[in-house]
Amino acid sequence: MNDTPASGTQPTVAEKVFAFVDERVGLKLLAAKMLNESVPGGSRWAYVFGSILLFIFIMQAVTGVLLMFYYVPTADHAYASTQYILHDVDYGWFLLSYHFWGSSAMVLCVFAHMSQVFLWGAYKKPRELIWLVGLALFALVMGFGFTGYLLPWDQRAYWATTVGVEIMDKMPVLGDFLARFLKGGATPGQMTLSRFFVIHVMVLPAALIALAGLHLFLFRCAGPAGPFRGTPSELKAKTDYFFPRQIWKDVVGMAVVFACISAMAFWEPVVLLDEATPDPGDYHPEPEWYFLFIFQHLRLKMFSGEFGQFLGSMGLPGLLGIMLVLLPFFDRDPERNIFKRPLALIGWVVLTASILLFTVSAIINRDFLD
Amino acid sequence: MDPLSHEVSHLVVSMNGRGERQVPMGAVQAITHDVVQLRSSASEILRMPPFAREEYVTLHEVEIPGLERHVHVTPGEVLVPYPELERNVKRRTFFANLTYVTGLFIGLPLVFPVLKFLMKPMYASLDNRWLKIGNIGKVKTDDVGVQFQYKRKVKEAYMPEAEIEKNTWIVKATSSVLEKVYQEKDMEFRDAAGRPIWTNKKDMPYLAFSGKCPHLGCAYKWRKHKVLGQVFLCPCHLSIYDASGKVLDGPAPRPLDLLPIQVSANGDVQIIDMEFKAGTKSQTRIV
Repeated sequence: MNDTPASGTQPTVAEKVFAFVDERVGLKLLAAKMLNESVPGGSRWAYVFGSILLFIFIMQAVTGVLLMFYYVPTADHAYASTQYILHDVDYGWFLLSYHFWGSSAMVLCVFAHMSQVFLWGAYKKPRELIWLVGLALFALVMGFGFTGYLLPWDQRAYWATTVGVEIMDKMPVLGDFLARFLKGGATPGQMTLSRFFVIHVMVLPAALIALAGLHLFLFRCAGPAGPFRGTPSELKAKTDYFFPRQIWKDVVGMAVVFACISAMAFWEPVVLLDEATPDPGDYHPEPEWYFLFIFQHLRLKMFSGEFGQFLGSMGLPGLLGIMLVLLPFFDRDPERNIFKRPLALIGWVVLTASILLFTVSAIINRDFLD
Repeated sequence: MDPLSHEVSHLVVSMNGRGERQVPMGAVQAITHDVVQLRSSASEILRMPPFAREEYVTLHEVEIPGLERHVHVTPGEVLVPYPELERNVKRRTFFANLTYVTGLFIGLPLVFPVLKFLMKPMYASLDNRWLKIGNIGKVKTDDVGVQFQYKRKVKEAYMPEAEIEKNTWIVKATSSVLEKVYQEKDMEFRDAAGRPIWTNKKDMPYLAFSGKCPHLGCAYKWRKHKVLGQVFLCPCHLSIYDASGKVLDGPAPRPLDLLPIQVSANGDVQIIDMEFKAGTKSQTRIV
């Protein structure tokens, strides 16, 4: 951060502007404080996911705002305006497809980020609050995926929403109210589209920005957890500051993610199905891939009947959620090494394996339906 | 100071114009409020390596989590007096509470209007009009599901009237299937207030099933199953029903929903387009 001009030369305009702002807000100190944070045990590739998530969110916000220049959230124009973006607006296909694949990347990176924190035992004291806010952010990301899916107003959108809201309806006491509240009535229609739109472009982004800020603030209060192995002196020997090594790794991660999303948008651009109607024709309803495992496990015989359905759609996911919320308060053993926490390791492996299993079997199941 | 352990390891001592030296804390004998007393002599300290300031940043330029709570490195506190007017502690508490009260005063009256505002379209009244959906001549075989696609006009709030495509399944049932469905009793449909709307007679052979799967609301199809033969199958969660709507397999909690149906002498089929909440054992009408 050495930007004092060499003696004898005049400061450039940029330097003058910087000095002007610095004099008023202490920019240099602020930047220094942001960048000079000790990363115990040194920078690692495993730590890149948080920064990558922030990057993906910013890109989703940018592409999302751009899409809104043409998109119209009404039942009679949503589909046409989305098709217009895809087929008529220059690079519309790319921006929409980037936004679409960005959501997949977001879900993948959230999973990676949460797994890393879980396996590293980084949710333990004193970082419980960071974990809790993180869980709320996870819920918001899923909410983004769910609400965004309806907006193109094609058959895929319509049916994913129909089934998704029916699942919400199974919540005890509040379910019916919540489902009607989201749909703005008994069946999906204009009111649903308006509601999902405002939730997707205003409510969730505002909540996410606030909570992500809180997440970062809490993270800065507690500091990075560092590796789960190594004596304090070993950690100290390898410690460096956030800048430049960790930032370098984060930036490389962002570039890789950007390249992947762009590649997906390029080779697998979004193609809409027919416009939404309550008659699906030959279309077999299916949610986006990251909800497929829930979709598939509801096919199981054990989740049949009214109670079984409650268990499958609300009970088990709810229980998992509650367990994740309570995790840092029950798991008070300071041991962070995942290889000395067999229960945690087994739990993670079982959960990940069953998500994979159900996702794959849902994909295999497609063949039997045609 | 070490940023991880918060341990203060050295003091920097200015050697009166002969540079600065980095003195380990071990060499510090005592610290009183204005004097730091060292064990080593001035010449010993001068022999120590000079202090390399460029290798350090100040506390203001580094983020050390929890520093203020763990280490007190302030040489002394700088105190700022409350302004004369602010010294009445009781009044400060009062104003703090007044802020909350004002917040409630603004917020509480808004709760009800905002809720009502958002809830406006949630509970629409049910529509019991008969809809003509096609001609029964289309149904050729007994106990086979035949899809009737029809358009229904909807007028949502400010939107122009629109047509949505829907479908229902009609079965011309043999007596054995009819018995499974009606169990010797006519089926009566009532509105929300309990007034009868229509009665499906138990000997009328045509059944109309709502196109919505009672499991989670997808649209099912009439198709061939390897083991069970011709069935209604929902592609979403694989609920399977026979021609009477009974659940044969899969997660559905109740049989397919029957709709009021009339078939006129010239074969016109009319139904009342109803929808029921999915996923419950009992029927709750929502459309």
